[in-house]
Amino acid sequence: MSGQMQFNSQSGAPGFKGPVTQMSYLCASCSKSNEIKPKEPIRCHDCGHRILYKKRTPRMVQFEAR
Amino acid sequence: MSPSLPDASGFRTLERQLFAERPGQQHEYPQTQKLTAPHIESFNTIWERAGPHTPALIDIAVSLLEPQTVFDGKGGAENPRGNRIKVWLSDLRLDHPTQTARDEKGSRLVLPTECRQRSATYRGRLSGVLHYQVNDNPEMTEERSFGQLPIMVRSNRCNLKGMGPGDLVRAHEEPDEMGGYFIVNGNEKVVRLLVATRRNHVIAIQRPSYANRGPGYTPYAAQIRCVRPDQTSQTLTMHYLTTGALVVRFSIRKQEYLVPVALLMRALIGASDREIFAAIVGGDADNIFVRDRVELLLRSSKDYAVYTKEQALAYLGDKFRVVMYAPDDMRSADIGRLLLRQLIMVHLGDARDKFNMLAHMVRKLYALVSGECQEDNSDTPQMQEVYLPGHLYLGIIKEKLDDYLLAIRSEISRDVRNAKVDLFNTRYLARVFTRVTVDIGLKCNYFLATGNLVSRSGLDMQQMTGYTIIAEKLNYLRYLSHFRCIHRGAFFTELKTTGVRKLLPEGWGFLCPVHTPDGSPCGLLNHLAHTCQLTTVVEDTEDVEKALMRLGVQPGLPSPTLGDPALLTVQLDGRIVGYCSQPVGRRIAETLRALKLQAQKQRETRGAPRGSLLDLPASMEIGFVPVSHGGQMPGLFIFTTPARFTRPVTHLATQQTDTVGSFEQVYMEIACLDGDVRPGTTTHQEVLPTHILSAVANFTPFCDFNQSPRNMYQCQMGKQTMGTPLLSLPYRTDNKLYRLQTGQTPICRPKIYNDYGVDAYPNGTNAVVAVISYTGYDMEDAMILNKSAHERGFGYGSIYKTEYVDLGKFRKSGDPITQHFGLGPDVMSNADVLERISIDGLPMPGISVSSGDPLYATFDEVRGRTKVAKYKGEAGYVETVRTLGTASDGDTLQVVAITFRIPRSPIIGDKFSSRHGQKGVCSQKFPAVDMPFTETGMQPDVIINPHAFPSRMTIGMFVESIAAKAGALHGVCQDATPFQFDEENTAADYFGEQLRKAGYNYHGNEPMYSGVTGLEMRADIYIGVVYYQRLRHMVSDKYQVRTTGPINSMTQQPIKGRKRGGGIRLGEMERDALIAHGTAYFLQDRLMNCSDYSLAYVCKCCGSVLAPIAVPASSHVVDLSAPGSEGAKPRKGTQFAGLSAAEARAIMASFSAGPMGRGPLDLVCRLCQNADGITMVALPYVFRYLATELMSMNMKVKLEVK
Repeated sequence: MSGQMQFNSQSGAPGFKGPVTQMSYLCASCSKSNEIKPKEPIRCHDCGHRILYKKRTPRMVQFEAR
Repeated sequence: MSPSLPDASGFRTLERQLFAERPGQQHEYPQTQKLTAPHIESFNTIWERAGPHTPALIDIAVSLLEPQTVFDGKGGAENPRGNRIKVWLSDLRLDHPTQTARDEKGSRLVLPTECRQRSATYRGRLSGVLHYQVNDNPEMTEERSFGQLPIMVRSNRCNLKGMGPGDLVRAHEEPDEMGGYFIVNGNEKVVRLLVATRRNHVIAIQRPSYANRGPGYTPYAAQIRCVRPDQTSQTLTMHYLTTGALVVRFSIRKQEYLVPVALLMRALIGASDREIFAAIVGGDADNIFVRDRVELLLRSSKDYAVYTKEQALAYLGDKFRVVMYAPDDMRSADIGRLLLRQLIMVHLGDARDKFNMLAHMVRKLYALVSGECQEDNSDTPQMQEVYLPGHLYLGIIKEKLDDYLLAIRSEISRDVRNAKVDLFNTRYLARVFTRVTVDIGLKCNYFLATGNLVSRSGLDMQQMTGYTIIAEKLNYLRYLSHFRCIHRGAFFTELKTTGVRKLLPEGWGFLCPVHTPDGSPCGLLNHLAHTCQLTTVVEDTEDVEKALMRLGVQPGLPSPTLGDPALLTVQLDGRIVGYCSQPVGRRIAETLRALKLQAQKQRETRGAPRGSLLDLPASMEIGFVPVSHGGQMPGLFIFTTPARFTRPVTHLATQQTDTVGSFEQVYMEIACLDGDVRPGTTTHQEVLPTHILSAVANFTPFCDFNQSPRNMYQCQMGKQTMGTPLLSLPYRTDNKLYRLQTGQTPICRPKIYNDYGVDAYPNGTNAVVAVISYTGYDMEDAMILNKSAHERGFGYGSIYKTEYVDLGKFRKSGDPITQHFGLGPDVMSNADVLERISIDGLPMPGISVSSGDPLYATFDEVRGRTKVAKYKGEAGYVETVRTLGTASDGDTLQVVAITFRIPRSPIIGDKFSSRHGQKGVCSQKFPAVDMPFTETGMQPDVIINPHAFPSRMTIGMFVESIAAKAGALHGVCQDATPFQFDEENTAADYFGEQLRKAGYNYHGNEPMYSGVTGLEMRADIYIGVVYYQRLRHMVSDKYQVRTTGPINSMTQQPIKGRKRGGGIRLGEMERDALIAHGTAYFLQDRLMNCSDYSLAYVCKCCGSVLAPIAVPASSHVVDLSAPGSEGAKPRKGTQFAGLSAAEARAIMASFSAGPMGRGPLDLVCRLCQNADGITMVALPYVFRYLATELMSMNMKVKLEVK
């Protein structure tokens, strides 16, 4: 359960200038999932909207309920 | 008696659920849309024609702009001015907000939600056509853009126009989005409604300050605020001088000018002395006072040697040539005409009408001076209307357009001076036009963002700042009241007199008597009653005039030959239509109202009135002022103009809803309740007595049982409640949003709740409240919370905070982008970072953050390093991470908005309140076992002290308590509308019977048992259900504590401010109290030890704190015992001069420059030249500072140290 499980990297060693590591975001307008590479302009591939939401963490989130 | 229960529960749960599942195109709560109507409609009338007879205001405004003319000076002898170029504008258009992308074809509509989220401005392109004509050549046109103009949400230029709830939800808005605001840099900005003087109506004023204007001035004046067809205004004030002369004062570009009345009257229609005399005196030929004044007036006008119209016009034109920016070739008389057209009685087009109105103004002023009529109180809503946001906005746009034309003119004029002009060269002209740019959009953006009015003319407004406010979405009530608040004007806030703040009977039904803040803005910041409407449409008055003529109004002004002093003036929107006698006038007013109602009925049933029926506007005000003894100036005043206060009342004879204005209401007979109707006199009745209250004031249950200030407090606190601000939470990036997680609809609520859909925005929780003094933790407005209630979620809230991270902020425009969001190779092994930040450099939504945690990372390409930013602030969760693409270019990610959710469960010190101005602070969260309980085993959620009631007299809270208790027991919603009960039919009985039927005590009291001892208490306890609001004031935002911390570098004292970890000042009064208590040690501790305690050296001989200085032991021996012996510079002055600053510095430098550890510092007094008397004392550090400051002023501070 590391933070790297969502990285789509082949080599397994994610690096900034290493292999392409893309992340997926949700479009604020049409809610479609978008794969965005680093340094790629923020733009929904589907509708052209320029606000994308980051997806929720895939890790388990558990907090002490008090 | 059996209690009457509502058949259905009344909560409308199913109905609301059905609607929520299938929102259609019809608004569920049409009333809410009416709240912002004045804002939206006034904005709409700028751009689109409101009716068949009223063109769009922008077209009128553009047509009223004076074309600008310049001459190139290249003429021959017969034409010395040379060629002429004339420029003017037409066809201004505002587009819907769109976005054009580089790689996309065409453009895409921009929705408000996008602007909010990217903190941009919601705006559309403003463009127009520039016309120019050289000499008499064919005119040329050119399309010009005036920038991106901010657009009001839900107006006719907004992309949400015409959307129903379903579409709105799809557009990520509220289902009942009201609009009425602008989005400027992501903030929702509302242009405030401001009180204005009633337009086109002469008001008589008497102000002592007028007498100080100059020699001969008296306190008497008459004033009229004339409004042009494009809704810009020009105020004229007529002053009465001791000489009997009258001068008219008006301002051009904030500069005041005074013109004698006789001159204006002459210039308008070339009136002879006889005509002027007749016009002013009217039928009242025997009035010696007026006759004498007119004679004086006419005689004094002879000084100017102006006898004819042309002479008068030329005289005026000559004087005003420069200030009017008249073209060079204009004749003086034409400039005079221009002046009359642009500044004198601008609401009227015809010169004769202007003349008549001036004559009326003179007559009214004389009436005031002679005591024949009273001065008008400009603080009453009778004499007021509103500056509507749209009209103000148009005024700004119009002025900027005028500025644009002037800028072109001055640009060409400059070229003329530099002999670079060539009007026949199209390339030259194109160059000139491109050089002059006016970005009106940017100017309006500035206006909305700051609320500052930057204007040459001042737009006839009294204030320059404070026009806009942010519509905070704190909760629904707060948000709603931003659109309904109406301010008297910034000028009145500084006024010492309190007359303006008074609640006046004239405001009945228009301004809410309850909903005004207490404190400095009290009475100045009012709120419109919820049914009060502001007119926005320019009506067609042709039929009104026709009706007046048919009903027997004599056209023109009465002549002195009639010899009837009781003839009344008949005015329609500030134009004198004619005159009539008093009985005729009364009959006309009555008939006109009947005709108006008839036309209204026709309109409702069969469309616009046709044929014989006259089309009289429904919002028409028929103000018949009868003759009185020294009261208001009599006459029949009819208003149909926009921006007036109106409200619906029932017309008794026809049972129709009549629209009543604030001017006519004063002279109408409107009954409130059925018992108030007096047959034969009363003509109208209130629709509902609650119509006098604002929307927010209406939400107070049983407010008629409370002492009135408590209802005012509730209006305040309702707006500070942590509630449900909005439903579109995932799409909002407000700086701070408060949200109550466990909101409920109140069991006890007024009917109006359903009209405004407040159920969707709950503002509190129904709590079981016991009024009991229990353990003393409920003293002094403290309240005890049941810990179990808290654990069940009572008052649980959270705060949503959004932070923008803009990497481009520190980058100069044009520089390449070197910073990116992302993790560099250098932090790839940092587990702490990888734990929270993913490869894109952004935190993962859902993770918890507390102060100091890594939040986001940026990679610097130049340095090849990753910068990890840390989270600062309260512990919370990352709610949303928004990546915001740049608007214009396809650059990489530079701006990110991160929304945090900070949980705020109620803790000790948080503030709560009921809906009756009864606020309290949570003092303890008692465990359930320690709470008292009733015979049925109920425990209170909240305990309050009985002492909260006697002095505050909030009986409404008691009534709410039993009503909601009965409602809860029977499972029904209780109607808490005020004015439903009376002495015979009491609320206590109504709800008491319901309680009795449920098996409870009729009075709402119950025996209770102590949770601690288990014994029954001596007295029965009043226990019921009260709706509790959690206020946004929470200790977590307020607590301030410090032992040590940051200090001010100059004084060494603790700094102030909670944010910076500063202290709280122990001021003079606190000091006095401590002295009085004799707590010297504590005082010493506060003022010295915990503040700027310092040790200082004092020379006992000279008493100086500053003279002892440190010198190295060796050099001080050399320097001071044998001056000059070292072979340094010979010492100037006497031996006692001590060390100069430069020498001391040299000594210090030589010491520090030398090898370390050469010897300890030694102290010596510079004044006494020895070290004998130097001792150490404890001093406040500021004292040294004081001594230094005094020294700089040649004063010595001497301490006597023993």
